[in-house]
Amino acid sequence: MAKYYRPSTLREALDQRAKYPLKVLAGGTDVIPMHTTHSAWHGSTPPDIVDISAISELRQIDEEDDQWRLGALTTWSQLIDANLPGYFDGIKLIAKEIGGRQIQNRATIAGNLCNASPAADGVPGLLALESKVELTSSSNVRTMPLHEFLTGNRQTRLEADEIMTAILIPKLTGGARSHFLKLGARRYLVISIVMGAAVLVPDEHGDITDARISIGSCSAVARRIPLLEERLIGLPINGSLGHVVASDQFDHLEPIDDIRASAAYRRSVAVSLTTEMLDQLANRSVQRVS
Amino acid sequence: MDLRSDKIAISFNLNGDDTAVAVAPFDSLARVLRDELGQTGTKIGCDAGDCGACTIIMNDAQVCSCLIAAAQADGAEITTIEAGDHNHWLAKLQHAFLAHGAAQCGICTPGMMMAACNLLMKNASPGRQEISDSLSGVLCRCTGYQKILDAVES
Repeated sequence: MAKYYRPSTLREALDQRAKYPLKVLAGGTDVIPMHTTHSAWHGSTPPDIVDISAISELRQIDEEDDQWRLGALTTWSQLIDANLPGYFDGIKLIAKEIGGRQIQNRATIAGNLCNASPAADGVPGLLALESKVELTSSSNVRTMPLHEFLTGNRQTRLEADEIMTAILIPKLTGGARSHFLKLGARRYLVISIVMGAAVLVPDEHGDITDARISIGSCSAVARRIPLLEERLIGLPINGSLGHVVASDQFDHLEPIDDIRASAAYRRSVAVSLTTEMLDQLANRSVQRVS
Repeated sequence: MDLRSDKIAISFNLNGDDTAVAVAPFDSLARVLRDELGQTGTKIGCDAGDCGACTIIMNDAQVCSCLIAAAQADGAEITTIEAGDHNHWLAKLQHAFLAHGAAQCGICTPGMMMAACNLLMKNASPGRQEISDSLSGVLCRCTGYQKILDAVES
């Protein structure tokens, strides 16, 4: 018979995870449909599960001295409603466009990262915020940058006895801005064809001192665009920014042909989407989210 | 053959009534509602969280019941389309949907009404864009959505 544990404390969950190979279940929006589909085609027993959704200590959003700590079970809806500084606007836009309202009410940030789809909406935004992830086992707690945690298509550095317990986001100055654009076959309930996230940090004169641009759904893992980021440094954040985007800055992306789009289309859209995103961000034509 | 884990006892409040049922913990709430509890108003469309036909309200939030493992419903407050007559908003939505011709085949209708009910519980006079965003997770292949939005707006 399949095992199903639903502990109410992290300690219990980690002890179970240390004893048995168990699939972690939180919001269920990836784990459940994967099993349903597999079972419909092949007939299968349910996986052995540790359901962490009852561990309330993992649902908090906390402000610390140098960083924001998002508990692993933070849902996208919770993120939308949280009182967070302007550089979280991009992440809030992600949260509003993942799936539909029902998905946003259940799906967790950690689940999105641990599932590690190339089209995981949370990834470009969290990479642009230079996020770290906290991984906990019954014997150890470690943190690593998100870009090290994600190693490939649905591949991560999560060990069999670990649970992701938090996402850590370094604080930025108050003037920092962020944005996110997603292209899909429709507005909601869609996996993106291309998506982009941007975080720009200005100095006191309004000149960009730090730029992070990340493009998703165009590689096994979403990628930063360093050649573009370099071009943005020193430019006035309220000036015209889209014109510095050039297609050769995106050569390192590895888009594929799939049912949603061709690789060539993705390459083309990555450039135009990034241009649009930067122009919107510079003009402050982005609507503040909540 | 789908071998289930041992059944566990769960209890939750369903449309105002305390309900206890033995479930396979990884079975979906959608199936438990329909097969164990005979509440077939909730429809299963894609069974994968992609269509919203199975939308219910759980602890004041609209969710896809096909994405809730039965064990996760323990202790929850659940509202389904069967609450229709004695739920203030669902009763109004029933009339509005009829008046506006907002249902054709009807398979999305319970999901649409539960999503709309959840919105109206939080905001009694939403604008059309907000209605559209709140119903964004329920797909309709028949109506083209306009009459559904008209019904909710009214």
